[in-house]
Amino acid sequence: MRQRLMWVLWPSFVVAGVAEIAFFTLVDPQELYLFGEPVYFSRMATYSIGFFGFWAVCAAASFFTCFLQRSAKEVNAHRHPAAH
Amino acid sequence: MSSPNPVPHTAAEETVEQSLYEVSRKIYPRSVTGWFATWRWVFVWLTQLVFYGCCWLPWNGRQAMLFDLVERKFYIFGLVFWPQDVFFLAVLLIISAYSLFLFTAVGGRLWCGYACPQTVYTSIFLYIEEKVEGNRMARMKLDSLPLSLRKVYLKAGKHAIWIIFSLWTGFTFVGYFTPIKTLTTGLLHLDLGPWEIFWILFYGLATYGNAGWLREQVCKYMCPYARFQGVMFDPDTLTVTYDRERGEPRGSRARKTDHREKGLGDCIDCQLCVAVCPTGIDIRDGLQYECIGCAACIDVCDQVMDKMDYPRGLIRYSTENAIEKHWGWRDILGHVIRPRVLVYSGVLMVIVIAFLWGLAVKPELRVDVLRDRAALAREVEGGLIENVYRLQVMNVSEIPQRYEISVQGLKDIQLIGPRVVAVAPATTQALTLQVRVPPESGKTGASTIYFDLRSVSNPRIAVHEKARFLLP
Ligand code: SF4
Ligand code: SF4
Repeated sequence: MRQRLMWVLWPSFVVAGVAEIAFFTLVDPQELYLFGEPVYFSRMATYSIGFFGFWAVCAAASFFTCFLQRSAKEVNAHRHPAAH
Repeated sequence: MSSPNPVPHTAAEETVEQSLYEVSRKIYPRSVTGWFATWRWVFVWLTQLVFYGCCWLPWNGRQAMLFDLVERKFYIFGLVFWPQDVFFLAVLLIISAYSLFLFTAVGGRLWCGYACPQTVYTSIFLYIEEKVEGNRMARMKLDSLPLSLRKVYLKAGKHAIWIIFSLWTGFTFVGYFTPIKTLTTGLLHLDLGPWEIFWILFYGLATYGNAGWLREQVCKYMCPYARFQGVMFDPDTLTVTYDRERGEPRGSRARKTDHREKGLGDCIDCQLCVAVCPTGIDIRDGLQYECIGCAACIDVCDQVMDKMDYPRGLIRYSTENAIEKHWGWRDILGHVIRPRVLVYSGVLMVIVIAFLWGLAVKPELRVDVLRDRAALAREVEGGLIENVYRLQVMNVSEIPQRYEISVQGLKDIQLIGPRVVAVAPATTQALTLQVRVPPESGKTGASTIYFDLRSVSNPRIAVHEKARFLLP
């Protein structure tokens, strides 16, 4: 379980870091629009929220990968309770 | 619910599963002294003096090294980088990656053993641990004892020092992104911004967790470099190697016995190389991906060899080829220069030269010209045709500048608006200019004109920027 948690959180952390740098080098947070309004947070806040946003999205992808990686046996485990 | 193991797994699957879920046993590395340990401490000191010190260096009335995220400008001593300079950042990353390839091909995991923050902070944390809890034996004993006042006292003391150190590290880290003087004042007046506090704690926690708790697990399970370094190795790469031929058959013996006569090799099977290993492996099993190349086992085994009066180097830096073919140092060094190394070095050299050249000719003035789309070409008094432009004048240098503006490209072209613009160091100044020409100066449609900006104090700093002029 701990291992899976790491598989989900760690690669997504690294990729979120890269995405954050790439995105905010190209885009000035003060030029962003949120729900049609210019972003009124400080740049520091936008960077930070942006980072956690990226992290969350990447973690979701990692989680999905982990989920799909379970072998057919694990997925079907509950169907064969008597097989043991 | 389902039974725990409903379908029988194959043996191979079982081992994989087991190793993945293996509860990692705690490793108590024995501290070691010697040639390589000394070098590691030299690197710990060097890297950390740079890290904790650089943010305090002043330069031209500002912080010498500041990655000012709020202003979106990076200062590195005399250089100022703007978001437009992202190209340099990319090239710097390529250079770092390539150097890492080169070092790895030549000397294996030199980075891991001496300079990686994970190694450096783990060394520091282990040092603190040893000072508080005692040496390896004492630490193992302490952990096996039931809870007592002394145990609580020692553990609490260790964690307190670790946490203070981590917080200081977090503070320093944030000090590279927010001016550290502001940060210090904020801290003294207990008036730090919420995000600053958050990132100090975040980075501090990461340091504490990685160096205090996770340690070798970061190298074993988290580090991407550790996973792909294998492809950069070849039989001529220097790695920490156990000389199996010389060491085996291993076995304990009295100091005085002639072990050759008894059919023994040089390894006395004292297990010290395992005890010092920060990743808990036995180097005598051969090169393993867990080995971070810290050479602690070399240091300790050399001490053993000295005590036994055997020659040093049962474990040593060597290459696969050298061990196999019994090469000496001369042959090993002779094989350092090989096609792979030459290619890596050549490419690296080209990129570094291009990078330095790019830095040298980095413009000190940048101008963006935008034609004002709202105001189309229009006729003004005297029958002249006017276009309106917005200029973004960026003084990328470190000194205040005044620039003369002129325009050319069409007959009788004239400029309305300021002729000289003053721009503070490392700032952008926006201005609006009108350009007028008589209608007969050009054809109907778009013509090309040029804005010229030239520094009053240094005419070499100049920009010749193209723009489009519309004639109805
Ligand atoms: S430290 Fe040297 S002598 Fe001792 S077990 Fe390891 S290889 Fe053998
Ligand atoms: S095997 Fe030796 S060089 Fe490798 S990590 Fe262990 S102590 Fe360091």
